Amino acid sequence: MQTLKRNLLAVPILVWLGLLVGIPLVFVFVLSFLSRDSLGTIVFQFTLENWQRVLDPIYLRVFRNSLLLAFLTGLVTIVVGYPVAYITANLEPKKRALSIGLIMLPFWISSLLRTYGWMILLGNAGIVNNILLGLGIIDKPLPMMYKFGTTLVGTAYMLIPFAIVAIFNSVDKLDRSLLEASYDLGANRRQTFFNITLPLTLPGIAGGFTLVFIPALGLFYVSDLLGGGNTIFLGNLINTQVTRGRNRPLAAAFSIAMIIVVLLVISIYGKVAKDDAEGLFL
Amino acid sequence: MRMKTSRFGTFYLSLFFVILYLPVLSVILYSFNASPSTAQWTGFTLDWYRTLFEDRVIAASFRISMEVAVITSIVSAILGTASAVVAMRSTAGMKRAIQGVMILPLLIPEVALGIALLIFFNLLNLPFGHFTLVASHSLFCVPYVYIMVQLRLKEIDRSILESARDLGATRWQATRTIILPLVTPSIITASLLALAMSLDDVIISTYMSGPRTTTLPVHIFSMMRVGVTPKVNALCTLILVGMFFVVGLSQLFTKKRHKEDL
Amino acid sequence: MKNQRFSQVVGMLMVALLAVTLVLSVEQAVAAAGEINLMTWGGDFIPREIINEFEAETGIKVHYKEVTSNEDMQSLLEANPDQYDLAVVTDYMVDILRQTNMLGVLDKDQLPNYANINPVYHGPYYDPTDEYSIPYAVSTSLLLVNPAAVESLGAQPITGYNDLWQKELVNNVVVVDWSVEIMGVALKALGYEYNETDPEKVAKAREKLFALKPNIVRFETNTPEDSLVNGEAVAGFMYSNQAVKGVQARPDLAPVFPVEGMPIFIDSWVMSKEAPNKEGAYQFLNFIMRPEIAARIADLTKFTSPNKAAEEFLPEDFKNNPMLNLADEVLENTSFYIAVDKVLDEYEHIYLEFKLR
Repeated sequence: MQTLKRNLLAVPILVWLGLLVGIPLVFVFVLSFLSRDSLGTIVFQFTLENWQRVLDPIYLRVFRNSLLLAFLTGLVTIVVGYPVAYITANLEPKKRALSIGLIMLPFWISSLLRTYGWMILLGNAGIVNNILLGLGIIDKPLPMMYKFGTTLVGTAYMLIPFAIVAIFNSVDKLDRSLLEASYDLGANRRQTFFNITLPLTLPGIAGGFTLVFIPALGLFYVSDLLGGGNTIFLGNLINTQVTRGRNRPLAAAFSIAMIIVVLLVISIYGKVAKDDAEGLFL
Repeated sequence: MRMKTSRFGTFYLSLFFVILYLPVLSVILYSFNASPSTAQWTGFTLDWYRTLFEDRVIAASFRISMEVAVITSIVSAILGTASAVVAMRSTAGMKRAIQGVMILPLLIPEVALGIALLIFFNLLNLPFGHFTLVASHSLFCVPYVYIMVQLRLKEIDRSILESARDLGATRWQATRTIILPLVTPSIITASLLALAMSLDDVIISTYMSGPRTTTLPVHIFSMMRVGVTPKVNALCTLILVGMFFVVGLSQLFTKKRHKEDL
Repeated sequence: MKNQRFSQVVGMLMVALLAVTLVLSVEQAVAAAGEINLMTWGGDFIPREIINEFEAETGIKVHYKEVTSNEDMQSLLEANPDQYDLAVVTDYMVDILRQTNMLGVLDKDQLPNYANINPVYHGPYYDPTDEYSIPYAVSTSLLLVNPAAVESLGAQPITGYNDLWQKELVNNVVVVDWSVEIMGVALKALGYEYNETDPEKVAKAREKLFALKPNIVRFETNTPEDSLVNGEAVAGFMYSNQAVKGVQARPDLAPVFPVEGMPIFIDSWVMSKEAPNKEGAYQFLNFIMRPEIAARIADLTKFTSPNKAAEEFLPEDFKNNPMLNLADEVLENTSFYIAVDKVLDEYEHIYLEFKLR
């Protein structure tokens, strides 16, 4: 009875999200087994063709590229973002609020414009090249645009607040007495960090990674603009198939395949991180 | 105990902020560019600000976006926090179910979710506008609040809650007096993220907005075919200045309140 | 004390929230008699000043729903055909919407200004009887070249697609990002037609296309001209309105009409089958087909106007611009991408292989 009562409150949440996300998910799943006519209109006829095409080696390469990008983005945001979150959490309250405010502010500006901002910075006639040329450090513009690395920088830039906020929330609630105890026992800063702080903030790292990894798979205009469209990622592929490719069933199959892959990845690193990973999903 | 921030810490943080704001500064800089394209700098002008103030469409879409974003972040803050608190109290199985459901909206590609919701809401005969925008945006915002809040909830000492109950506190009282103050920083940071995400969503908004509710990001993206003009840079510059103002004010405000508390 | 205030605030917020959502959800009523809803690309694709004048003159309020693609418009129109009166879509989408029965037949009796439309644009493949669409903006794809830079790279002057393959141009070409168009470039370079289905010819075009990869620095659909303006590319394949902007920014750039021929696009007005305010829609269409209005639209948007009567109102620099005022021999050398659906899947696949090289 007590258990039932405890669980009752969860029901509206499950129903609400279950309806609004579950039903679209079922749509997409069913769609991935349907056909379409030459105009792109969906035809209610069962087919496995879309799924066969997902397994085409060329699409598997798209999957591999996207996973690589998403993984590296997660890694970069954690490595760069951890110190930011850690330092911020240790600031005095007023400065801390300011730091959080400053981290959030840029994300109020259209991400498209911020992407253009990177192009202004890194382009051949961009600000960085002009400064370097002006200083005489280089004698012709460094080509920095339209590379995988440019896409990575842009994607990480777009998603880094998620990593920082997740880690911040995890560092901030650390029991400081533990750190004090560690220092009292003669551990230095480094030892304390690696033996106490880092393990205790692992859920924050894992949560932040999840929140960066998943959207990184779906972003498309960053790689279109900064990557110069030179490589295709899952986000671009799905988007193209929905629009100009006029093949929504195929896009649906890609979407479901992507969901499956993400779930696999998360459950794998959930197992690796084990106890400490309670903060993540699954 | 708060550790003193080391010199390296200050340096790292400053460096991070410089890099974080470089693209933003280029956005601001090019709002004064005489050329409509970002490809070249042809001279200083304030024309884009003038055209911005004459443009009622961009103002209207900004208003719609703000309305949707504010409502979305409030809804998400409430639902996300409630979910996290409920999940903490539920049985392990139920907790798993909630976590499973929470990750779903993040997994589905936005295009797929947008089109599926378009069909779904249409079947329900819902009018497309603020309501559908808020409903769909909160789908991808709630999970973020949920994750941020439960990251902090996890380490709550259950014994404190139990002793509170032993002392005769009702469950609601315990929640209010112990849990909520503890997770408030998470709620605030997560709501700010939700606000930013809602303000920046293009794809879902394209399908979820009605004939009269073009949001700002959709407005900006739809300009791409004929060219995004620095007018948009000018708007973003003004938003940023306004936000700096708000952040500054809140700094003053917290300073005062601290004094009062003392 | 403090916590009580907190819960009060939360409670108030929730009530306010409910009220706001309720009010806002009923705000969206069906279009009243004095309003029309139109849908197309944003920015100034339909210039605001023209819309303002229309509103001032007729008292009809125009709601302009902005979208990013033809396919978005199709989805939105299919979901809510009774919410939209007019849309501007590209030729091939007219064809699709017409065949999926989404469009209303335009009553020419209500459109006296239709007579202003250049007969050259009558009876296109996507609407052979001119019942469903009115051409609004004409554009082509062409090459924009920086002749001096091409020469300094040691390459031959560019006159057609085939010249893009010169190995001197490595990493110096920008192209729009669509499979059908880029395959079209390869097909034309081989002397074939667009949307070829013959497997042998397609295979040849595929090989030809792959050889182009090292030369391409960037795929960009929206602002390819920027790459020529800032010097990161010396030649580009792009839409005419973009090339016009490129030349405006850098007069030393030159348009090249490829000798092999080039594609043409006609963005056209269509009316929803269930348009709530047909009368207002006709008034609007008549308004924008007035010669002087059509001329201003063309000048503001940098698209060629299909409005014959508008020509005398066009400014001199517009008339003298070969990309905007298309010469007859140029126009003769253009063709639509017809029957895209027959080749799309295969071309998309080839294009993906091409990009992943």
